[in-house]
Amino acid sequence: MARPRLLLLLPTTTYRAAAFVEAARRLDLDLTVASDHASVFAAVEPTALMALDFARPERAATEVLSFAAEHPVAAVVGVDDDTAVLAAAIAEALGLRHNSVPATIAARDKHRQRVLLIEAGLPVPPFALHSVTDDPELPARDAPYPCVLKPLRLSASRGVIRADTPEEFVAAFRRIARILEEPDAAACGEPARRILVESFVPGAEVALEGLLDDGRLRVLALFDKPDLLDGPFFEETIYVTPSRLPAAVQRAIMRCTERAARALGLERGPIHAELRTNARGPWVIEVAARPIGGRCGQVLRFGEGEGAISLEELLLRHALGLPVASFERERAASAVMMIPTPRAGRLSELRGVDDARAVPGVDAVAITAHRGQQLVPLPEGSRYLGFIFAHADAPEAATRALHAAHAKLDIVIT
Amino acid sequence: MDEIGITAEPVDDQRCKFVVSRPLYTAGVRRFSSIEDAQGSPLAENLFAIEGVREVIVSANLVTVVKVNPAPWQVVGRAVGAAIRSALASEREPVAVKADVAGAADDDALYQRVAQVFESRVNPMVAGHGGRVDLIDVQDATVLLRMAGGCQGCGMADVTLRQGIEQILRQTVPEVRGIVDVTDHSSGENPYFASSKK
Repeated sequence: MARPRLLLLLPTTTYRAAAFVEAARRLDLDLTVASDHASVFAAVEPTALMALDFARPERAATEVLSFAAEHPVAAVVGVDDDTAVLAAAIAEALGLRHNSVPATIAARDKHRQRVLLIEAGLPVPPFALHSVTDDPELPARDAPYPCVLKPLRLSASRGVIRADTPEEFVAAFRRIARILEEPDAAACGEPARRILVESFVPGAEVALEGLLDDGRLRVLALFDKPDLLDGPFFEETIYVTPSRLPAAVQRAIMRCTERAARALGLERGPIHAELRTNARGPWVIEVAARPIGGRCGQVLRFGEGEGAISLEELLLRHALGLPVASFERERAASAVMMIPTPRAGRLSELRGVDDARAVPGVDAVAITAHRGQQLVPLPEGSRYLGFIFAHADAPEAATRALHAAHAKLDIVIT
Repeated sequence: MDEIGITAEPVDDQRCKFVVSRPLYTAGVRRFSSIEDAQGSPLAENLFAIEGVREVIVSANLVTVVKVNPAPWQVVGRAVGAAIRSALASEREPVAVKADVAGAADDDALYQRVAQVFESRVNPMVAGHGGRVDLIDVQDATVLLRMAGGCQGCGMADVTLRQGIEQILRQTVPEVRGIVDVTDHSSGENPYFASSKK
C-alpha cells in the first residue's frame, strides 16, 4: 500500500522544522516540505521540496492542486499562524478535512478574533482598534487604564506593552508603530498598520495546548506561567504543566477555550490558547490555530516509556487519521524556559551550558541564538536565545530546575 | 594523569554527543550497533552495559550514544561519563581497530561513492546558501556527515538533510541505510535561515 503523502508547510524561519521532519520520518511518510523560499535542492527533488508564495494562499493552493494531481496529498499541516491559513486554503482546494480559511484568519487576527468572541458572549477585555497613523494623544485620553497595546499579527508578546497613564500610552503607541515598520512585521500588510488597545486583565496567565475534533476540545496540556506577567512588557519565560490551578478553574478554562474555538469557527487540529483567570473567571487573551511556538513542544510527550510520542508526531497522526495510542501526557511534570534576553547587544559567548545541563531534572538546553547574533529584548525582539527543558515529579520541582539551570548560564553580550 | 574532561551535547531525546578531552579512536570512525559488535572494545562494552543504549559511534575524541529509554540525558550522561573514564583507565585500547571484514570493505566502497556524490552534487548546491557538507565516514552503510557554513545552525538544516541530501543518496547510492548528522548546530555562526518568533 502506498505511503500517505504529507504536505508540511514550514516557513524558513520556523523553530519547528526539526521536530516535524523527525516526526514525519518516524511515521515513514512520503513527505513534501513546502517553504516560503526555495531549498537549494528543490529543483532536483521536486516531490520532496517545493516553494510556495505564503503571502498568496489562493495562488499557493492552485500550485499544490497541480502537484497533487500526480502526487496525491493525504494531509496538509501548517506550523504557525500564517501557515495555518495557508494549510486551510490548500486543504479546501484539495477537498481535505481542515479548518476553514475564515476560521484560521480569525484566529490569526487579534481584532477579528475579539469581535467574534464578544459576539459569542465570551469574556474578552474591552478593546479598540487604532491606525498607526492616528495621533495617539487622542485615544490616550479615553483609554481604559491600565491597558495593553499590541499589534494584530506579531507573536510571542512581540510589541505588546502595558500603559498605566496617557504618557505611557503615547510612548507605547509610537514604539509599537516603529516595530511595525520592521520589514518582517510590515510584510503582514494592512494588519501591520493597526494597533489594538485593550484593558489589562489582572490574574494568573495560562496556556492551553489542545486538539480539536469536530469542534470537541481535547486538552493535551494546561501550562501555568509562574512568572508575574504584569508588564510593561510580557516576556514569557516559563511554561510548566500540569497546572496547579484548582480543578474547577481548569474546567472553566477548558470550557471557555472550547467555546472560543467554536466562536472562531475552528473545528479541527491543534490550538494554542492563552487565557487569564481571576475572581471573575477565565478571560480569553487569544486562541491560535497552531501548536505551541518556539521549541516548547519538545517538553511534551504523550504515553509512557518507549511508546511515548512527541507532540509533533501526535499532531501528524491526527492530521492523517492514523491511530494515536494515547492523548494523555506523561505522568511526570514538565517545564520549559524560553531563556530571556537580558539586554540588547551582540552575543559574544554563552558559558555554563554544560553546568546547566547537569542540573538535576534538566533534560536539555538548546541554544538557538548563534554567536555573533544581535540580541534584541522584548518588546522589539523576534528571536529566542534558547530553551531549557526539565522534568520532575512535581511542577514546582521542574520550575526550580529551570531556574537553577538558568542561573548557571553566563550570557556574554558585547 | 590529567583529569578527563567530558562535555555532553544532546542532539535530541535519543541521541547525545560526548566530547572527550582525550582521543578515543584515531583510525577513523567505529560504529557499534549491538553488544556483539562491542566485544573487544572496552568503551563500547561499557556503554552497552548502560540500560537502553542501542548504538555507539566513536570518532577521534567524540562519542555519539543513541538510546531508546526515556531517561533524560542528564541522568544517562553520568553513566556514560563513568563508562568513558573507565575505558580510558583500562590498559586496553578503548576502541579496537576495525577488523578488515567484508562489511568494512563495502563501507570503503560506499565512502568513495558517497564522497563523489557530495563533491559533484550536494556541495555545489548547498554552496548556493554558503553551506558545506563534510562526509565524516560510512559505517555499516550509515553515512556520518557534518554540516558547516550556512548549513550549520540553519533553521532548515533538517529539511536540507532529510528532503535533499537523503533523497539524493537514496537515488544515487541506494545501499546507504541511513544518515547521521554529527554537526554541533549550536556553534553555527552564520546560519542561512535564522529562526524567529512566529
